[in-house]
Amino acid sequence: MKNKRSFYWLMSLMLMLTLFLAACNSDANGDSGDGEDTDTEDTTEDTGSEGDSGEEASGEPQEGGTLNYAIDGEPEGILNVHYYGTATDFEIIQFAVDPLFEYDENLAIQPNVADWSTEDNKVYTFTFEEGIKWHNGDELTVEDWKFALETLASPDYEGPRYANVETIEGAKAYRDGEADSISGIEVISDYEIKITFDKARVNNLLNVWSYPMNRSYWEGVEVADILDSEKTRQSMMGTGPFKLTKVVPGESYQFEANEDYWKGAPKLDKVIVKVIDNKAVIGALENGDVDMVPVHPTLGEQVENMENVDLVTYPGLAYYYVGFKFGKFDNEKKEVVEQNDKYANLELRKAMYHAINRDEWIDAFFSGYGSKVNAPVPTAHWIAADQDELNDYAYDPEKAKSLLDEAGYKDVNDDGFREDPNGEEFVINFAHYSSTNPTFESRAKALTQYWEEVGLKAELEMIESSLYYDKLEKDAEGIEVYFGGWGTGSDPDPSALWKSDQLWNYTRWVNEESDQLLEDAIDIDVVGTDQEKRKEVYGEWQKLLNEQLPMLYIAELQEIYGVNKRVGGVEFDVSGSNSPHEWYIQN
Amino acid sequence: MLKYTLRRLLGMIPMLLLISIVVFFLALAMPGDPFSGEIDPNNTDPEYIEEMREKLGYNDPIHVQYYDWITGFVQGDFGKSVKYKIPVSDLVAQRLPNTLFLGIMSLVITYCFAFAMGMTAGRKPYTKLDHFIGGFNYMMLAIPSYIAGVFAIYFFSFQLGWFPFNGSVNIAVDEGTLDWWLSKVYHTFLPALVLGAMGTASYTQFLRNDIIDNSNKDFVRTARAKGTPESRIYNHHILRNSVIPLITFLGFDLVSLVNGALITETIFTYPGLGQLFLTSVQASDYPTLMTLTLMFSFIVLVGNLIADILYGIVDPRIRID
Amino acid sequence: MEVVPNKDPQLKTTKPPKSMSPWAMARRKFMKNKLAMISLVYLIILAILSFLAPYITTVDISRVNIGQMKLPPSSEHWFGTDTSGRDVFVRLLYGGRVSLFVGISCTMIILFLGVIVGAIAGFFGGIVDSMLMRFTDFVLNFPFLVFVIVLNAILFGKVGGVGVLIGVISLLGWGGVARLVRSKILSEKENEYVLAATSIGGRPNKVIMKHLLPNVLTTVIVQATILFANMIVAESALSYLGFGVPQEVPSWGNMLSASQQPEVLQDMPWIWVPPAIILVFTILAINFIGEGVKDAFNPKSFR
Repeated sequence: MKNKRSFYWLMSLMLMLTLFLAACNSDANGDSGDGEDTDTEDTTEDTGSEGDSGEEASGEPQEGGTLNYAIDGEPEGILNVHYYGTATDFEIIQFAVDPLFEYDENLAIQPNVADWSTEDNKVYTFTFEEGIKWHNGDELTVEDWKFALETLASPDYEGPRYANVETIEGAKAYRDGEADSISGIEVISDYEIKITFDKARVNNLLNVWSYPMNRSYWEGVEVADILDSEKTRQSMMGTGPFKLTKVVPGESYQFEANEDYWKGAPKLDKVIVKVIDNKAVIGALENGDVDMVPVHPTLGEQVENMENVDLVTYPGLAYYYVGFKFGKFDNEKKEVVEQNDKYANLELRKAMYHAINRDEWIDAFFSGYGSKVNAPVPTAHWIAADQDELNDYAYDPEKAKSLLDEAGYKDVNDDGFREDPNGEEFVINFAHYSSTNPTFESRAKALTQYWEEVGLKAELEMIESSLYYDKLEKDAEGIEVYFGGWGTGSDPDPSALWKSDQLWNYTRWVNEESDQLLEDAIDIDVVGTDQEKRKEVYGEWQKLLNEQLPMLYIAELQEIYGVNKRVGGVEFDVSGSNSPHEWYIQN
Repeated sequence: MLKYTLRRLLGMIPMLLLISIVVFFLALAMPGDPFSGEIDPNNTDPEYIEEMREKLGYNDPIHVQYYDWITGFVQGDFGKSVKYKIPVSDLVAQRLPNTLFLGIMSLVITYCFAFAMGMTAGRKPYTKLDHFIGGFNYMMLAIPSYIAGVFAIYFFSFQLGWFPFNGSVNIAVDEGTLDWWLSKVYHTFLPALVLGAMGTASYTQFLRNDIIDNSNKDFVRTARAKGTPESRIYNHHILRNSVIPLITFLGFDLVSLVNGALITETIFTYPGLGQLFLTSVQASDYPTLMTLTLMFSFIVLVGNLIADILYGIVDPRIRID
Repeated sequence: MEVVPNKDPQLKTTKPPKSMSPWAMARRKFMKNKLAMISLVYLIILAILSFLAPYITTVDISRVNIGQMKLPPSSEHWFGTDTSGRDVFVRLLYGGRVSLFVGISCTMIILFLGVIVGAIAGFFGGIVDSMLMRFTDFVLNFPFLVFVIVLNAILFGKVGGVGVLIGVISLLGWGGVARLVRSKILSEKENEYVLAATSIGGRPNKVIMKHLLPNVLTTVIVQATILFANMIVAESALSYLGFGVPQEVPSWGNMLSASQQPEVLQDMPWIWVPPAIILVFTILAINFIGEGVKDAFNPKSFR
């Protein structure tokens, strides 16, 4: 049986978004690996169907050896799956934990430690695998999961995961101190538990927290003290294939094989996770100091040319876009209160889209390890619409010019740039986030140059990345057209980014049809439990967005790993890599 | 001497206060919650922020806020890191030993190189060797340390594979054993070399000139006249006289180490305070930033104080001031 | 980076001999110093090329040329192109403009502040002196790099550009000069000619301007060269770390920061080696000139 190492997909989209800032900050030091903005969510090695996996390594699986795994961003050091905040932390944690469910190559949820059954999408019965041991020898039971859910719902909980238990019946009352226990959790036996959600939803299972928490390990530690505890910073307790045995904070983490791992003892003896600087990635791979490391697209070619290293690629789940601000949002009233008509003309947006040579741009700034998207859903995702049904706004400057002429954007005062239909000066004020990475400036500049080539004057403003998303959120003055990126999780519901009453609908685009489609897609009465039906509704929605162009969808990137040829047994697909207990090292 | 030292120590106190006030006002100018790190920067609900501000005393008069902050600081309460979500004091405790180790090693390297080169050049002034050392020193002065660092990584770590390019210790070695210390030295050597090289040139030049000066002095002539062997004259009589003024540089070195550590630690991904400082700037981790800024200022202050006191010991005339 | 008092004791210049004008003698000595003269010529050429960059090149330096990215050196692009398709040679000239401008401006402002504070403190002595010197100590106690970075982080987004950088560096950098000038004036003040001038009723500012400053000038000139080199290094290091001049402005430090991308560092040396070499040569040249000046004013130097 092919066991996918399930990735942590469950974090809701909402949560991911709150992490963006942290992620792009941690990344500010040079363009480390995957993350300028969005593709940083936890999906560091998510997805992919065309992975030419690192498995070419021939020869028989061997026992023993130490794998040097590198992460190219600095972790925050929260070694606790219930509390961590950045993707880099999870790259360390992943070796020691094992989730209840996992995802297959279509991102469909599958049983791992636990299986489930439900009649109505509201009440679920979960059955745990028997005989699974924690690293300290305790046996895993449903009580451990109950303990985790209660911790997350506790009023003292300081982590970012409350949203993952919020939907359980009685969780809110428990958090508000009105109840001593969560009424929706019912333990049937050591291996059986019944969970009742507050209502039937298509995504209850996707959303619920899926990691258990060892009770004896945390005995005597108050919930309020967990985050600061040594047990969060210096050690870890899990059921996964490797045990954390040593920590040098912010620098390296040593794991040893968990011989009692329920799916079989790992082939590797040890895994050492090293934190390295982005600029050392190439050198470290080349001289064998590091066996596995995520690689930034611009380095792909170099890694590909290395004799001792395989380049593994698979499509990512993040996309870049150019957004327009159509209004201002009032967070109290939860609605868009002001309209900005400067970019209201659809022909103008279409012309701006046709003006951009996306293929050339992706080739130039991501060495071709990406492709263009035509809707705000990465093509690797199961809800992605049939690409043939979407318009491809191909690079066509002549068409862009004629669209602009028709729409009345003409150069009336002969300064070389077009004026708006009223004859006023027209300048596209384009914003992009900055960091120490100089390519950000040039890729943003390149976009403005495309617009200038069709006669639209454009000015670029680079905004410090720590302020950028804040400004977008507050609809700061001066931001009209902006560059951004979002990631998608396994739960594809994009409501938080698109519904007109959402703060993170940065474009402030209001469209009733879109709102309705998004509601339908998660309405159990409309789509039921039928994935196909749900996909159809999302397909409709993507077609609408592809025609209305509230933003110009630019590109989706591939995830890239450099894997030393001596490593075998590693496979990647849409759900991430397989479980590390199957990895091995050969000589 | 004691009186002089005491006077300098007392003179430091108002300076400390002034600096802490400046840092305090810089912190006030920073967005968010630079003092305690308790306000969640992702929560933009104005009610929540107002409530937290009230609770944390940000609506108090400025002098009360300053007093609260500085008393907390003196007691080791530096607030909580926004990025790492642990008390800044813990963070500093994790990183400080690394920076100290790096600093000490770079000083040792500086002294070794400077002594070797300075004595060679001073013994045989105006020879080819002397000119070579002089030229070498000019180059060392002219190459910015970050360029040297990048070159060092690529040459010694990647091309030759002699030294590791990041980290402070090999995790597979048990803490406290001899191997562990060796591993630490091995990891720290390259950044320490780059950092230490910065100070070498001025030491070398000073030592060389001083040795040339001294070699014409009466006591050396006397020694020569008595038939003392040349090597003994240089290694004993002259060196002893030339080394004493050198120790006054120690204070200045502390200062340049602070500046150098920022750059070197960042280039070598060496987990010390300098690297922490830069990441905290980039991550807008203001509580950490404030703490480190104040700490670095203190180090500089102490460095200048040490320089002053050592001056006083070496050159008694200064004590009168 | 820190502007610390020079550790070299030879720095102290002595009184010129009587026969020939000290300036003329120094000039003759300086002209004979080959290394210093070559350095001077190099610097002048560099400065001229840099400041004339907009007139001798026609390329739009901010334009991104996607078709011409990462090209190795050729007859068309002498030093190749960078990751944005911009000509490295042209950027080098423009970068020199910014780096030299920042260096010169900072040096000027620092000298101005430092000389004024030092001169006033040294000449008047007493309470004025101790107040000013306490203040100078205070400024000297800020770790330079740390505070420049913190101030830049605070000011970023509010006011931007090269001006902020120059201002911040200058405000934090003048302490060393002030100290040096003060101690020089203190020792000169004891000389009889000053006592004579004041005793016959010369106004203080006149005495400072006419008698003291010229004698302090040599010290200041030597210090200026050290400062100039330091400031260029400071600018480039800050820009390299991402806290200096804004990224879209080419400066040598900004160009060097491209070496943080591993593919540039290992496979495209033409992008970052030229600014590194120019930077090192420039600092060497400035140092040689400084040495030359020092030697020229030092009657004890025989060579």
